[in-house]
Amino acid sequence: MNRLLNRRDFLRLGMLAGTTPLAPFASRFALPATASPIFEAKSLKGVDFILRNSPTRKKFLIETMPGGVAMLDYNNDGLLDLFFVNGGAVSEATHGPENFERSDTRYWNRLYRQNRDGSFTDVTQAAGLSKAGNGNYGMGVAIGDYDNDGYPDIFVTSYGRNVLYHNNGDGTFTDVTAKAGVAGAGWSVSAGFLDYDNDGHLDLFVTRYMEWDADHNKICGGDWHTYCPPGVFPATTCLLYRNRGDGTFEDVSEKSGISAKKGRALGVAFADYDGDGFTDIFVSNDGMQQYLFHNNGDGTFTECALESGAALTNDGKGLSGMGIAFQDYDNDGKPDMIVTVLPREVYALFHNDGGGAFSYQSLEAGLGSLTSLSSGWGVGLEDFDNDGWKDLFVAQSHVLDNVEQIDASLHYKELPFLALNRNGRFERGDSGVTTPLAARGATFGDINNDGKIDVVLTTLGGPPVLLLNHCENGNHFLSITLRGTRSNRDGYGARVSVNGQTRFATSAGSYCSADDKRLHFGLADAKTATIEIRWPSGTHQTLKNVPADQFLEVREPEHS
Amino acid sequence: MITALLYLALALQNVSAEGAQHMQAGVEAHKQGKFDVAIAEFRKATQTDPNLAEAYLDLGEVLQQTHDYKDAVTALKKAVELNPDLDPAHLQLGFALLQQGYAEEAIPHLERVHAVAALGIAQLETGRYEAAVANFSAALAANPGNSDLLYYLGRASGLLSKRSIDSLMEADPDSARAHEAMGENYYVLRQMPQAEKEYGAALQQRPDLPGLHLEMGMVYAAAGQLDKAEDAFRAEAKLEPGSAEAAYRLGDVLLQEGKTREALPELRRANELQPDMPETLYSLGKAASLEGDAALAEKSWLRVIEMEKNTALAAQSHFGLAALYRKEGKTSQAQQQMQEFQKLQSTIGPPRSE
Repeated sequence: MNRLLNRRDFLRLGMLAGTTPLAPFASRFALPATASPIFEAKSLKGVDFILRNSPTRKKFLIETMPGGVAMLDYNNDGLLDLFFVNGGAVSEATHGPENFERSDTRYWNRLYRQNRDGSFTDVTQAAGLSKAGNGNYGMGVAIGDYDNDGYPDIFVTSYGRNVLYHNNGDGTFTDVTAKAGVAGAGWSVSAGFLDYDNDGHLDLFVTRYMEWDADHNKICGGDWHTYCPPGVFPATTCLLYRNRGDGTFEDVSEKSGISAKKGRALGVAFADYDGDGFTDIFVSNDGMQQYLFHNNGDGTFTECALESGAALTNDGKGLSGMGIAFQDYDNDGKPDMIVTVLPREVYALFHNDGGGAFSYQSLEAGLGSLTSLSSGWGVGLEDFDNDGWKDLFVAQSHVLDNVEQIDASLHYKELPFLALNRNGRFERGDSGVTTPLAARGATFGDINNDGKIDVVLTTLGGPPVLLLNHCENGNHFLSITLRGTRSNRDGYGARVSVNGQTRFATSAGSYCSADDKRLHFGLADAKTATIEIRWPSGTHQTLKNVPADQFLEVREPEHS
Repeated sequence: MITALLYLALALQNVSAEGAQHMQAGVEAHKQGKFDVAIAEFRKATQTDPNLAEAYLDLGEVLQQTHDYKDAVTALKKAVELNPDLDPAHLQLGFALLQQGYAEEAIPHLERVHAVAALGIAQLETGRYEAAVANFSAALAANPGNSDLLYYLGRASGLLSKRSIDSLMEADPDSARAHEAMGENYYVLRQMPQAEKEYGAALQQRPDLPGLHLEMGMVYAAAGQLDKAEDAFRAEAKLEPGSAEAAYRLGDVLLQEGKTREALPELRRANELQPDMPETLYSLGKAASLEGDAALAEKSWLRVIEMEKNTALAAQSHFGLAALYRKEGKTSQAQQQMQEFQKLQSTIGPPRSE
């Protein structure tokens, strides 16, 4: 012991007294922006949604975790609509079986239809989406056309029972959960549609956080009364449902090997990381290693994050994994992962080295300098300035609503994080938001069809925030809607390359949220593009000399 | 009751037969754990032979054992009065007085018998921190790793440090050193803006004061301002080219900034200045690995493992080696390192982010 002390004596004992002080703090030390704001923070006209998380002194852990938001064109009118997941009523007297009073209008989930003038109309009730179920505290949303009828369906996750709403194509939805067999149980968080067996029908993956209920809630932090860290509660498994193609799903969690691994899963994203033609699944776990489920192509998965280098930091440390982006940030054609985490960690970037291997490259990409102070939730890798490189956006806020009392250097509300991608290295950008937020969900898409990617954030206890992209640099774009024929109609799982950039078709990722399913490519100064698509069916399709600055629907050839 | 046995023989030389009987009976009763009987017998011995210091010593010792410190002190004082050279009586009296909170009064008795640990406690309680630190250090040399002594040494050192700083503040509150001390306090309290302000004031007065830039750099690093931390560590490294810590801190922050090419020579330098510093070696391995110098990475991490064996740094080194071997296609070695990593994780817990 003495020898150790002696060897380390030069590490200024005075500076090490008491704590390991690597405490980050946000706004007062925020670095200056490097460029003018790309976004303008706007309220959503006609949207009166408030995310009711109902915080109590009992610090029920669910209170700090919602809620999701989706951009979808539910009525196929070419305008993106918005769906918000609400929390529910919680009181200090709440106990199991919980009743969250979701029948009260304040606690409804909400669907807002976008009007031609950019305003929104609340169509929740008319669409048949007002009954969220009193036993359900809402968390996330997934969007996908599971029955290939051309209309996007909505899956809502909850603490409680999950709900699948079938889009009837006439502006209404029907709760088909019971028939579909996807209610699940426990605490579901993020979810996403994918076609893991390439049979042309979208399957469904649901993350579950932990074994928790109001009767077994715990309060941590001593006199400070804080939400407990995840390790206090038992881990649990995720759910995978296979779409039988007849409107019903089979729970294949066990058969597929997914439930063989218990974790504390919050986020999920999909991509074919090893190019074998089958969609793989990356799950962000809170306070532990991350999971990478490799699709074996025979209906089973093998969790291989540790062997692949995608489980831990390069110091072998676990992560407070929350949101995920699973796209190719460095234009090498292979999808990489970015996981949002808590302060004293750094947003984790797992670079896809090829051959099924990943390396932790947060520091090389510049995220060490930029994100050691941050708590991240919803996340997207999108080309906001259309320069041909995917930028990084994160919805931020600490998980503890009283964190300032415990550690003055941390903040509950934070500014969103924008980092511009400069040839694979990130530089701080200006999100355009000047008031710190308790942001959670984030969805990405071109909400006003102007060729630039916008963002909608949810905020705990507050209204959503629209970040309208008004970047004016003359760069060109291309927006592609996939229309699968042999593959699933949404084309989820397709690998699309445009002028050397690659996107993996999905609406899943971020945190609890679902993105515009259109694939957006910034083309910089290119006025035409070459598009290469590898469909989930295995079909390869190439389109050459495609003019820039258009919204293009590409239909999968019906014969290979 | 070794004392009683030892001194019984001596006492018998001048003791009456009846007194000797009571002493003998007291010793036997004490041996059997019959403290009440022992006390009664020793009392009788003091009544039979009122000048027998050893009888009072034994009585005082047993009274102490039964937590009757007040009567113990009375008896032990009488023993010392009767025989000022009776060291065991001084020792017991010192203990009893200390136990009762009479630290000042205990000191001369403890000093006389060189009871350094107890003396340190008495000095700590009477504000003689410097002497207490010296005595606890001496006691620790005889009992390395003793948790009580380590605690007391830490406490005495802390109080000594506080008193020095208080004196500094009183004597020259606007001096560079006063600002530096304030900066250190704010840093520990994680109040970084205030710490930055204080260190800034210190640096304004004495920019060439060794350590100041380093401390400022640590404030910036803790605040996530790595570019400013880098500047501060560079300034320190320039001021103190022989400081291994300055080189290590600079190398490490460069590593965090993703500037691995610049980090590597700094970490090499730190390792040359002070070899076998596990933290330096770990970071050196990391920088070397990122820069493609697999041999240096392997050497550095293996050395960490050799020195640390089962610490978090050792686990991290196993993890780094696993990745290194995997990249080199050395699958079985990679698996072996990963197993070692996992084994350590299960024993010491998973490495945590700072």
